[in-house]
Amino acid sequence: MLADAVRAEGYRLGRNRTALFWSLIFVPVMSVVLGAIGAVMVKGSEAKLSEATGIPPQLQAMFAATPINLADSLVSAAASAANPAVLLFLLIGAATLYAGDYRWETWRLISARNSRPNLLLGKLTVVAGLALGVLVLMLIAGLIESVIRAGVFDRSVTFRADAGQIGDMAALFGLSWLRVVQFAMIGLLAAVMTRSLLAALFIPLAVGVGQALSPQMLMPAGVMPTDWLAILVNPGAATDAIGGALRALPLAPAPEPGLMLKSWISLLLWTALPLAAALAWFQRQDLSKE
Amino acid sequence: MEFVIETRGLTKTYGRVRALDGLDLTIPRGGVYGVLGPNGAGKSTLFRILLGLIRPSSGTAQVMGGPVGDLAHMRRTGSMIETPRFPPYLTARQVLEWLAREHGLKTPDIPHWLERVGLSQAADRRVRGFSVGMLQRLGVAAALMSRPDLVILDEPTSGMDPPGIQEMRALIRSLATDDGVTVILASHQLLEVQRVCDRVAILDKGKLVREGAVSELTAVGERLRLMVSAPDRALELLGGKGQVEGQAVLAQIPRGEGPALIRALVGRDIDIHEARWVGSDLESVFFTETGAVQAPEADHAG
Repeated sequence: MLADAVRAEGYRLGRNRTALFWSLIFVPVMSVVLGAIGAVMVKGSEAKLSEATGIPPQLQAMFAATPINLADSLVSAAASAANPAVLLFLLIGAATLYAGDYRWETWRLISARNSRPNLLLGKLTVVAGLALGVLVLMLIAGLIESVIRAGVFDRSVTFRADAGQIGDMAALFGLSWLRVVQFAMIGLLAAVMTRSLLAALFIPLAVGVGQALSPQMLMPAGVMPTDWLAILVNPGAATDAIGGALRALPLAPAPEPGLMLKSWISLLLWTALPLAAALAWFQRQDLSKE
Repeated sequence: MEFVIETRGLTKTYGRVRALDGLDLTIPRGGVYGVLGPNGAGKSTLFRILLGLIRPSSGTAQVMGGPVGDLAHMRRTGSMIETPRFPPYLTARQVLEWLAREHGLKTPDIPHWLERVGLSQAADRRVRGFSVGMLQRLGVAAALMSRPDLVILDEPTSGMDPPGIQEMRALIRSLATDDGVTVILASHQLLEVQRVCDRVAILDKGKLVREGAVSELTAVGERLRLMVSAPDRALELLGGKGQVEGQAVLAQIPRGEGPALIRALVGRDIDIHEARWVGSDLESVFFTETGAVQAPEADHAG
């Protein structure tokens, strides 16, 4: 049963403290630490900065008197949660989970008593949960960072959110989570095809770099960033397009007609295809070779 | 008779190599069944197919009355293939906790199984420090924990010290006799197989070359070994059925003729110091059937 596979993978991951630390704890903690250091450094060079930017003291005083709205911090954190650092370190935990049974030759202990799709989906479910966990921690890290910034700059904090803002935050959070899970799916496919932990870690990263560079590679061929092909090969751009539309920032240009459809199709393809390929490959795989 | 394993024309090829070559094998329910064969005979390939780890190139295999891969039947099977490995960050207890979840067991009684394989003292040690023998024991506990009707063990005593081998042998026997579990094991230790198994199959080059009860296989070539006061006269009495082996006379006669021979020897005033039946052991059956070359025994006298 799938529930058994999820319970077992969750139990195993829960006891792997190294994987948990790197994939779940490290990035949010570093995000807070680096945010605090950044705030202190900016505060230290505040006088020089205001001199260089020429902001009048009255405006600075008005700015300092404005409280930091933690709801805004949450929306920003939700939008930027699927950043490369989160992806890289989450993939450490995901790769451990995906490739562990090849590495430790443990398929032979478990594969006779559960269906192969269940075993793979169990791993994926736990990784998706891990991704959810790290994104929630990133939101908390965003809040802590804002409170620290408020303390460093002598500003007060407030939490003012309307229903629309909460909706934006939830939607952006969901989008970030989907983006992370996409990479986790590519990691799953890489692990199943290569049986290698390193491949499960680095192939998704290489794919991510390729996606990010795709606009520059396609432009010379006359493919514009909002063309079908460009959006299909770059789900990152699709995520940005959907995220931009969700946030509907003031003064932002209206999205090109059809861009949302292309973006959603790109996201769905990059989510479903690696999973389907991994399941199909695993279904026929010789599990006696480790 | 009910069978726990039934294969028909089971074939597995790896490129040009035929690891299994049309294997027809039926293993009855109950007792301990040994699968023997030299390296490359197809034992591990057979086990891996039975456990659904690999697919046969052709032929069929049934486990517990259902096709391989049918979870309802496969869930009645426990297994340990070669020396098991486990995630090194887990303790022995955690390995069983993890596998109990994987197998959907509600009440796995882990302390009982750790005790039964002699790992109670090491229950909370991480497996990264375990010896091969300890890993074997943990693998056996993992195979038994779900209280299966059929247990498949590949080299269960590999890497164990002599007391460990003895304990494992006793455990395997008690599984069959006390718990009613059918145990199928592969081992290179023929003496161990002879001691623990009720029936054996001998595979060679992917084919079944011999199958039967251990007592039947070893009964072939059984002889009465006699230590007598006058070997020459005893040989004369036996005619062509006798031969000398050291100080003893070996009589190649059926068991039923043993008492008459002894009466005849006594009747001729030949003193009998010792008389016992000696069979051919499983080792000689194995070497005969597989054509493997038996290493000459060291001549300690010289």
